[in-house]
Amino acid sequence: MALSLVAYIREFARVEWAKKFLAARTAPLVIPPYFRNYPELTGKTCTHHLFCMMACPAPGAIDVIRTPEGWQPRIHVGHCIRCGLCVEACPNGVLSSGRILESMFLDNTRLSFSFAITVDLDRCMGCGNCAVACPVNKLIDAQMSHGGRASTDDLLLKVSDGKCHVLHVEKCTGCKTCEHHCPNEAISVARLLEAVHSPEEEPWTS
Amino acid sequence: MTILQKVKNFVRSRSIHVAYVDVGSCNGCDIEVLACLSPRYDIEQYGIFVHNNPREADILLVIGAYTPGWEEKLRGLWEKIPPPKAAIAIGNCPISGCLFARPHTLVDPPVAKHIPIAAQVPGCPPRPTEILSAILSVAPTIFADYEVKTK
Ligand code: SF4
Ligand code: SF4
Ligand code: SF4
Ligand code: SF4
Repeated sequence: MALSLVAYIREFARVEWAKKFLAARTAPLVIPPYFRNYPELTGKTCTHHLFCMMACPAPGAIDVIRTPEGWQPRIHVGHCIRCGLCVEACPNGVLSSGRILESMFLDNTRLSFSFAITVDLDRCMGCGNCAVACPVNKLIDAQMSHGGRASTDDLLLKVSDGKCHVLHVEKCTGCKTCEHHCPNEAISVARLLEAVHSPEEEPWTS
Repeated sequence: MTILQKVKNFVRSRSIHVAYVDVGSCNGCDIEVLACLSPRYDIEQYGIFVHNNPREADILLVIGAYTPGWEEKLRGLWEKIPPPKAAIAIGNCPISGCLFARPHTLVDPPVAKHIPIAAQVPGCPPRPTEILSAILSVAPTIFADYEVKTK
């Protein structure tokens, strides 16, 4: 009887059990290596295409700045939402985050960009600020008059009949300059990003 | 430092009462704070207890981009917390307004304009790990030697 009681107590008063009971801990808090953290520079050369800034959905999260070593993207912590779109968008693989570059290589995908411009004709007053501000228009017709009227139809945006018209949306680079310069919030640029398979190209290699 | 002060410092670093307030978020960060309570992260094993009562709290977690509805309320809530106290901004929203910081929206970030913020945990949302380590690193430093500092 006494012997079995001792055996019983020994079984249930083991030191490891007591330790576990009094100092229970879940596994130590570590951030796993595959976590998609803030994008970091890989050291590859940035060619200032600004695809990262175009893809970024968060206001003020990424800038491409000139440094003594050339152009470099800078991520602003507190604005960046760690979505990883800039990593996918960069054609040179300048940024990396988690396993994004590896999975893009395995799946052979890349991001394709297109832009949709809508002009709210009820709000547009035909001032032409958008057409004059647009940097693509500037390259096509540097002499465009202040009202946004021009003789050529190669322009991206043009004012005719007192309203703004989008002539060649495929030329748009998505800079949103027109949006910022419209006094009436009549024009808006939507960025459409698609992940596409690219069997022949490997755009992320430099 | 007296022995009593040492004991107080030790106890304060092992008994942190937390209240959280959502001043207009997308709920993403709220879910991550909630995940801190789950067995995987288990906030209570570090001596942190989520009360959600400002009168008993030491740490206020502020979540969200500050919508107009909080104009008079957040300040009052902060003043209800007895000192020593600290507020921690959780997520991008109280720091910069995150995705909501666009023209013609009603949010008014950063929250540091409205109440003093002791630490910021960026991320959209931040990992529970990051929230936990922020609380654990901020609380003992701020609360240490409180009686000596305020003398
Ligand atoms: S990870 Fe996303 S939010 Fe952050 S800089 Fe890149 S695109 Fe912007
Ligand atoms: S977003 Fe497109 S249309 Fe607007 S200014 Fe930039 S390039 Fe021109
Ligand atoms: S869209 Fe705006 S900026 Fe462009 S012509 Fe109309 S009102 Fe002017
Ligand atoms: S930081 Fe991101 S996840 Fe957190 S509340 Fe703001 S938008 Fe939501």
